[in-house]
Amino acid sequence: MIMKKINRRDFIRTTGAAAAAATFASTPGLAYSQSIGTSAPFDDYRALVCVFLHGGNDSFNMLVPNTTAEYSAYAASRQNLAIAQQDLLPINPTSLPAGSNPFGLHPSMATTQTLFESGNAAFVANVGPLVEPTTKDQYFNKSVILPPQLFSHNDQQAQWHSLKGASTSKTGWAGRIADLIRASVANQQMATNASLNGTTLFQSADETIAYVMGQTGPLPFTGFSNDPGSILFDQKLAFESIVNAQYDSIYERGFAEIQRRAIDAADTVSQAIATAPTLNTVFPNSQLGMQLETVAKLIGNKDQLQMQRQIFFIGIGGFDSHDDQNQNQPGLLGGVSDAMSAFYAATEELNLADSVTAFTQSDFGRTLTSNGDGTDHAWGGNQLVVGGAVQGRDIYGAYPVLELGGDIDTGGGRMIPTTSADQLAATLANWFGIPDVDLDIVAPNIDNFVQRDLGFMV
Amino acid sequence: MKTKLISLFVSLLLGVAGCGGGSGGNKQPPPPPPPVPITKAEAFQFLNQATFGATEMAANDVIGMRYAAWIDDQLQKPASLQLPHIQSLPLPQFMGQLQADRVDIWFRNALHGDDQLRQRVTFALSEIMVVSQLGALNNQPYSLASYYDMLARNAFGNYRDLIEEVTLHPSMGVYLSMLGNEKPDAANNIRPDENFARELMQLFSIGLVELNLDGTVKTDTQGQPIPTYDQSIIEGFAHVYSGWTYAGSPIFRGARATLASQVIPMQLWQSFHDTGPKTLLNGFMIPAGQLGEQDLADALDNVFNHPNVGPFMAIRLIQRLVTSNPSPGYVSRVAAVFNNNGQGVRGDLGAVVRAILLDPEAQPAMRMDLDGKIKEPLLRLTQLWRAYDGTSISGRYPFNFAYIIFGQGPLQAPHVFNFFSPFYSPPGEIRNSGLVAPELEIATEYLNTYVTNYMLGQTFGLNSTNENLNPDDVYINFEAEMAIAADIDLLIDTVAGKLLGGQISDTLRNEIAGMLALVPETDTVIRVAETIYFVVTSPEYAYQR
Repeated sequence: MIMKKINRRDFIRTTGAAAAAATFASTPGLAYSQSIGTSAPFDDYRALVCVFLHGGNDSFNMLVPNTTAEYSAYAASRQNLAIAQQDLLPINPTSLPAGSNPFGLHPSMATTQTLFESGNAAFVANVGPLVEPTTKDQYFNKSVILPPQLFSHNDQQAQWHSLKGASTSKTGWAGRIADLIRASVANQQMATNASLNGTTLFQSADETIAYVMGQTGPLPFTGFSNDPGSILFDQKLAFESIVNAQYDSIYERGFAEIQRRAIDAADTVSQAIATAPTLNTVFPNSQLGMQLETVAKLIGNKDQLQMQRQIFFIGIGGFDSHDDQNQNQPGLLGGVSDAMSAFYAATEELNLADSVTAFTQSDFGRTLTSNGDGTDHAWGGNQLVVGGAVQGRDIYGAYPVLELGGDIDTGGGRMIPTTSADQLAATLANWFGIPDVDLDIVAPNIDNFVQRDLGFMV
Repeated sequence: MKTKLISLFVSLLLGVAGCGGGSGGNKQPPPPPPPVPITKAEAFQFLNQATFGATEMAANDVIGMRYAAWIDDQLQKPASLQLPHIQSLPLPQFMGQLQADRVDIWFRNALHGDDQLRQRVTFALSEIMVVSQLGALNNQPYSLASYYDMLARNAFGNYRDLIEEVTLHPSMGVYLSMLGNEKPDAANNIRPDENFARELMQLFSIGLVELNLDGTVKTDTQGQPIPTYDQSIIEGFAHVYSGWTYAGSPIFRGARATLASQVIPMQLWQSFHDTGPKTLLNGFMIPAGQLGEQDLADALDNVFNHPNVGPFMAIRLIQRLVTSNPSPGYVSRVAAVFNNNGQGVRGDLGAVVRAILLDPEAQPAMRMDLDGKIKEPLLRLTQLWRAYDGTSISGRYPFNFAYIIFGQGPLQAPHVFNFFSPFYSPPGEIRNSGLVAPELEIATEYLNTYVTNYMLGQTFGLNSTNENLNPDDVYINFEAEMAIAADIDLLIDTVAGKLLGGQISDTLRNEIAGMLALVPETDTVIRVAETIYFVVTSPEYAYQR
């Protein structure tokens, strides 16, 4: 059903990565862009910041319909989980009549309301993993290819990270971006991909390795010194020699490689954070606030690190609201709102607001119906995009009528996405500098959707 | 004093690896028939699979008893428990403060428990059937201790009993929200909670796709994996698991834990239980009108008898104990024992553990690249503490922040998916070979550095020669090594004997020797600390053979 194209990735796999670049240069007729095999650097800086909301954000309570009919449908479906209409924070997308306030935000998200109304935030509505456009009939007839293991946490996180559909790909879309641009960013002092929230498939790649630091940056090795007069310098040399040795076991080699990367990057990255410009922006004292503050510091010191393209992964848990949803949601959504809004303010302070785009992803949306005091795993949901380059104050993609048993409800209010995660990723990748011809490497299912770019980036 | 550095630099510049003969295990002849003595290195390998860390004393036991008798002896040992200890302590102002005591008793049992094999298997089970202190259960340390004790009591029992106790334990009830789950209320669009229904199948028993006995994925005629269940089956189980809450609660909705109810199985309220028919796995139907207890028994039988459970549990337990990438043959041998212990009993976990440890692949004659695994970071710590008498002035191990430093701690997972995934495959050589290395998911640059720094503090600072230890600082004792610290080769041999079973690579030996030559021989503490530090941060110590 899906046209299988021979793309460069397959080609690289079959020819061997080392020889691939050279081979390409002399292989006429293959469609490939200039972004690989040349060393021309970018002439500007851009960063993507993925804020992953682990557990599956109940985002139909984050962005809520506010017109009478649509709110009624929402309230009827959600019952004891519905936000009272008078509590919604009204927002007015530019594409809809002024003053109509057809949508509202969760009452904890006042900072996002401000960002949205000032044109620096947008939402992508009812977006989720899809291999191809999917109707309810097609879903039940199984006449389209579906992402496997819908509604399962780790599988659907993996879908968002990898956009792999039914394939067995082990790379993530940020990882593939880093591989595509690796020749263009050869001077960078740290990897294009950096995570402040552990190892992630999102940044996994064939050719490039993501760097994992802590919420406030890397840890320096306390036992090492770079002063040749110190015994701790010898200690460092000995340590390096041990991790650089040959080992018989594949596991030892894998472990040693991580230790090598840790030593290589710890000094550089720690120093970049320590010497970053002082920010006046006050970040919330939360895990998300801490992570975003660290990202802001690294972005602020991008010149010292000679960075031109960066993709950061940060994340927090707690969104799997099977119970006590009404008690927990204000803290969760308010925390996201305040941290992302502080981050936006920091990028303005750094005069980099137009170069930095932060966006949310989450395992899945949640059921419109209640399990008593919470919600269960579903599919489509709403995502927030923040930055100066965002065509803000708008909602992209079709926001569905939230009625049970409707056109896109697979049961219990598990909504079939009407916009694909591939489209969201392709739009961001395009802005990041990936040319249209390569978007199918980043977002492998993008050719199955008419709109390759959702238009929410300038 | 720096003369040794020259050789150090030479080896650095030439990239001399010193691998020749460094890892003697590769050069060993095929496994000896029973009369041939077990070597110290073999005993270490076995003990690192079966305990919280090999020691020379334990190795002597294994050499004397041989593997099967050692295992059989261990299978008989009663469980070292946590709850009696926790309950003996005065109630603090905030219950969460007792979590440090829960971690304390975990370390005491892990380090000193007579039931090493049971404790190790319990730890493995706690990483499969996950509940965690991080979240609502932080306020229920009694409940978590009781959950862990429940796993320990069932570790060598029958899997069917285990999943029933897991299902009804209030810790699991809270963690995966089965507690308080009620029958549908159509008027208010309320349907049963699917959380536990889903994860019991995905993570605790059968997984997402049908497996062959050898653990490989079954495929349909199109070559596609076959899902074990769909949404409708999850909903069937979600209805089964309705009507349960804290035992003895006067109310169903809004029931609160008491000190008593958080440590005993949940209780059914039939009036909140759905009595409709339910479709479960493989087309099994529960008829309408049954009592909740009967529904539960039928549903757990349905899960228990799914053919996936044997290979599913075999893979997970082998991965926790022996190797990340068991061969299909290994999995099928263990799964066959799960299916039938030889006496017609399905689900005998003691027999499964025995089969895992006595399998030829656990002690391979010819080592291959993919044998063994990376040690879990917490096990690197317990092995060190066992070998060097890790203790504190107070006698306690209130190491409540284990999960921050080591990326894992007892019942401290970030979510029900554990600290790492059984399928994690790091980029590079391991992934390109189609292999997995679950523990490397938390061996990030950040956490590896955290552990490396901790080990520096442990060896140089937190040792018995430090006169400024706080009562709860866990320190090690290497005074025996200090007496021989003038003899560099003997010192390295002694430490390698205690931590590596005597097998140390030439590179590690040479680098340590180079460093020790820079330290005056009278600085015995530094010499020993240096030696232990380099061993416990080395790739070869991180590797479980």
